[in-house]
Amino acid sequence: MKLSKLIFCGITFVIVFMSLLPFVWFVNTSLKTQAEVTAIPPKLASSGSLHFYRSTIEEHDLLHYVKNSVIVAGATTCITLFISILSAYVLARLRLKYKGVIMGSLLLVSMFPQISIAGPVWKIMQSLGWLNTYQGLIIPYVTLTLPLGIWILTGFFRELPKELEDAARIDGCNRIQTLYKIVVPLAAPGIFTAAILVFIYAWNEFFFALLIMTQRKFQTLPIGIALFQGQYTLPWGEIAAASTVATVPLVLLVFFFQKRIVSGLSAGAVKG
Amino acid sequence: MHKRTVVWNNSLMFPVVFAILLAVLVMSLIIGCARTENDEKKIIRFITWKPNQPAVWEEIYTLFEAEHPDIRVIREVGPHSSTAFHDLLAQKLKNHSPDVDVFFMDVIWPPEFGSAGWALPLDELFPPREQKNFLNGPILANSYKDNIYGVPLFIDSGMLYYRKDLLKRYGFNPPETWPKMVKQAREIVFEESKRKEMFGFSGQFKQYEGLVCNMMEYILSNGGRILNPQTEKCEIAEKPAVDAVRFVRNEIIGKIAPKGVLTYQEPESIAIFIQGKAVFHRNWPYAWEMSNNPERSKIEGMAGITKLPRFSGNKSYATLGGWQLGISSYSKNREAAWTFVRFLTSEKIQKHLALKAGLAPTRKALYKDTEIIQAYPQFSDMKTVFLTARPRPRTPLYPAVSNVLQRYFHKVISDPTSDIEKEACAASQEIDRIISLQDSAPDNSAVSMTETREELGIETKDAISERTSE
Amino acid sequence: MVMKTKCSSITKERIFAASLLIPCFVFVCIFAFYPILYSFFLSLHRIILGLPSIGQPFIGLENYRELLHDRIALRSLITTFAFVSVSTFFEILFGLIIALVINRHFRGRGLVRAAILVPWAIPTVVSAQMWRFICNDNYGFLNYILFGADISKYRAWLADPFFAFAAIVTADVWKTSSFAALLILAGLQTIPDELYETAKIDGANAWQRFRRITLPLIKPAILIALLFRTIDAFRVFDLVFVMTQGGPADSTNVLQFYGYKKIFAEGFMGYGSTISVLVFITVFVLSLVYIRLIRTRLFTET
Repeated sequence: MKLSKLIFCGITFVIVFMSLLPFVWFVNTSLKTQAEVTAIPPKLASSGSLHFYRSTIEEHDLLHYVKNSVIVAGATTCITLFISILSAYVLARLRLKYKGVIMGSLLLVSMFPQISIAGPVWKIMQSLGWLNTYQGLIIPYVTLTLPLGIWILTGFFRELPKELEDAARIDGCNRIQTLYKIVVPLAAPGIFTAAILVFIYAWNEFFFALLIMTQRKFQTLPIGIALFQGQYTLPWGEIAAASTVATVPLVLLVFFFQKRIVSGLSAGAVKG
Repeated sequence: MHKRTVVWNNSLMFPVVFAILLAVLVMSLIIGCARTENDEKKIIRFITWKPNQPAVWEEIYTLFEAEHPDIRVIREVGPHSSTAFHDLLAQKLKNHSPDVDVFFMDVIWPPEFGSAGWALPLDELFPPREQKNFLNGPILANSYKDNIYGVPLFIDSGMLYYRKDLLKRYGFNPPETWPKMVKQAREIVFEESKRKEMFGFSGQFKQYEGLVCNMMEYILSNGGRILNPQTEKCEIAEKPAVDAVRFVRNEIIGKIAPKGVLTYQEPESIAIFIQGKAVFHRNWPYAWEMSNNPERSKIEGMAGITKLPRFSGNKSYATLGGWQLGISSYSKNREAAWTFVRFLTSEKIQKHLALKAGLAPTRKALYKDTEIIQAYPQFSDMKTVFLTARPRPRTPLYPAVSNVLQRYFHKVISDPTSDIEKEACAASQEIDRIISLQDSAPDNSAVSMTETREELGIETKDAISERTSE
Repeated sequence: MVMKTKCSSITKERIFAASLLIPCFVFVCIFAFYPILYSFFLSLHRIILGLPSIGQPFIGLENYRELLHDRIALRSLITTFAFVSVSTFFEILFGLIIALVINRHFRGRGLVRAAILVPWAIPTVVSAQMWRFICNDNYGFLNYILFGADISKYRAWLADPFFAFAAIVTADVWKTSSFAALLILAGLQTIPDELYETAKIDGANAWQRFRRITLPLIKPAILIALLFRTIDAFRVFDLVFVMTQGGPADSTNVLQFYGYKKIFAEGFMGYGSTISVLVFITVFVLSLVYIRLIRTRLFTET
């Protein structure tokens, strides 16, 4: 009995260790000085210097990327949620033909490889003059996150007790009123879950951002991190610092809301 | 009613989160809008790479802004690798990004950028009588059809760097042939590595544009060719080319050069050399300044420079490189942009770049400048290298051709079991197919024939006659 | 009379329902389905961004014929399949182990779960830069772990076709195993504890319980995780873009990257679209299988 527990603890430790170690190493790198980063062989300890954070903010305009990421991911989350709530309500509650087809095609959209729509989406944005604009990136993101939002919310809406809605309708609320007065508040945890997942998606997306945001003023964090350039070799310290900044909000989300994320991901069993 | 209030309370979280998100969004939009520049200065945005001597360029920018107080230059730094730089810049131009006014072009891009309409034709600003002051090769490289799309800033060609001290110690002369270089490197490394880590050679063999430059030098110096000027057919599957590639695979990669060179571009490869860990090094002219810079180099005064080796019975060849300045067709500040380009390519600045950064000028007059020749005696020797330097194939589809070449070279040199002949044949057919696409353009075929011919041979002859007549 | 009002209220509800779906419909049609069709349309033309003078001639299936003879595309397809199968295999394996661990009740389970989710939440670009740095030939952690201070043994991992491929697989497995674990966990949690209790009383050991009870019951969950990971792995791009740019020797030149290069870097919009269509069809077929599998659930729920 004792032994099996020990083994179990060991495995757990290894899993946690392997999950965190690479990233901890990277965070550690961001706290080194230039000499420590380029030491051969590598030095384990960092001197806790904030030099790279300063230089990414001052020289590489890190906050600018953060701002763009917040705008794009924030707007995507709001718009996607709004549309998803409407659609999910329909799919969960109202009578409609071809619901299966609609759900199925949404699922299909969520599996589209980016490359198979990238060219045309780029062309559409070009003809609208929306390359290098926030809406130019937000719109594809909304499209790609809608399936995720709708799937999660439909699941949550279905589980809500119908009685409250019926009561509200007897009180004289129409459908729309019932939706935002009763369903939305009740499903708040579900909506929050969907919000987290959509936000993470939009925060992390790279492919479309690479094609559409070529102007530095509008580039998001992943683009900034991928395209960091340096003088002689890659500025690993700065990359690590920017990466840490990009990841910290997500790590916080994960630690505070891991239950929701887990339920959101497994509820649909569909990332959508 | 009571029930409903409870519901609201329980779910306060949702509106709160939503409100926070919205607030953040609105705030950042406001910040974003508030930061729009209402500067009176004209702003030009310059897409550049990180230079090897940032301080030198910094001086130049300061000088420019002092001379032109009404113009502000904002620099955007692109990737070091020419291929990655190309992909990003091309994407920017495709997107008509308004944040591009002036950009660097590698010597191979003007046809593509001109043909696609991204680079502004500069003929009115940069008429033939002005062009005459520049070396012929770079000017040709910037021309496509009847227009010129860039102004050459500096010229590059491959050179062989070596450790004078080590060669002397072991009684060698700078190698004239590749096999000799390999032999010398082996002997020196064998002895030296008893004391410290030592490699024989470093060059640029990552899968990127620089790989094509490096490999061309082996192929051409073995009498091979990439394209046949008469037939427009690709000849990399011919014996001289294949033999040269096999030589690189069997004798250089992982032998006298560390296997890591397969991931090296210029910065990584020169790092080995200036740390004193390599006997030979292939690089562009700027490496000279860096090797002798006491702040960075451990081998100050020990580096020698010479023509690239060849295979016996053939001539040494160096790939023509260099960087040009172009103006975006979508620039809203063309005049200011041209002022900047004219300034950077002026005699004064080119001289400054030559003296301080070791970049070889494109203006002919500077090769007679005593100050430059004194500071860089090798420039007069390099002249001969520039004369034999060969451009890469010139076509608007160059990126595609180059990708095929990069792929082929990298595959066969990194995988010792691959069948070079077979791979070469396939790559060669692929290039033929791409070139033929270009001919399907109705108004293009005639031009492309003459252009390709110019590019292989005739151009070089012109350059020679011009240079010798001076 | 009653029937009639009921009918019209149903129609009204349907109209209302449809109108709520309009925004979703607009987005998905314009920015997802239309682009797919448009990709197909483009793939029937010769469009080269660098040569606007050739126009956009219709060339029928010419691009597809070319694709059949494109050895690089074939190689890329193989590379992609190799990547998909290897990474999915390990993700499911590790996912299963992780799921078994976090399904247990122990103190600090929440923290362990959060820690495991961290790789999943990290932006792919960040994890790509991270692994690239770990694999760096001079400053990398990997060399340090393996060879310590013995610099002469340090290797340029990303320079080797095999190890570069392995590095990409590792980065992907590291990042997404936890996702697979979550899907499997959902399956694990449906297994009633009594089953195990009875088995224990019957004298089954841990392995037997796993073989006979757990595995069969979570098979559907594993299947879903498997298909889901397969489809997602097919879309790998960020890792390749950041870590290897397709090299060395094309060993990591996956289809999405190849298509990106063709369309956006080389400017072959027409031919590149052919690759897009190929990728789409492959994923589409996989998706159909996937949807088939979970269809039962879909209908029981509606």
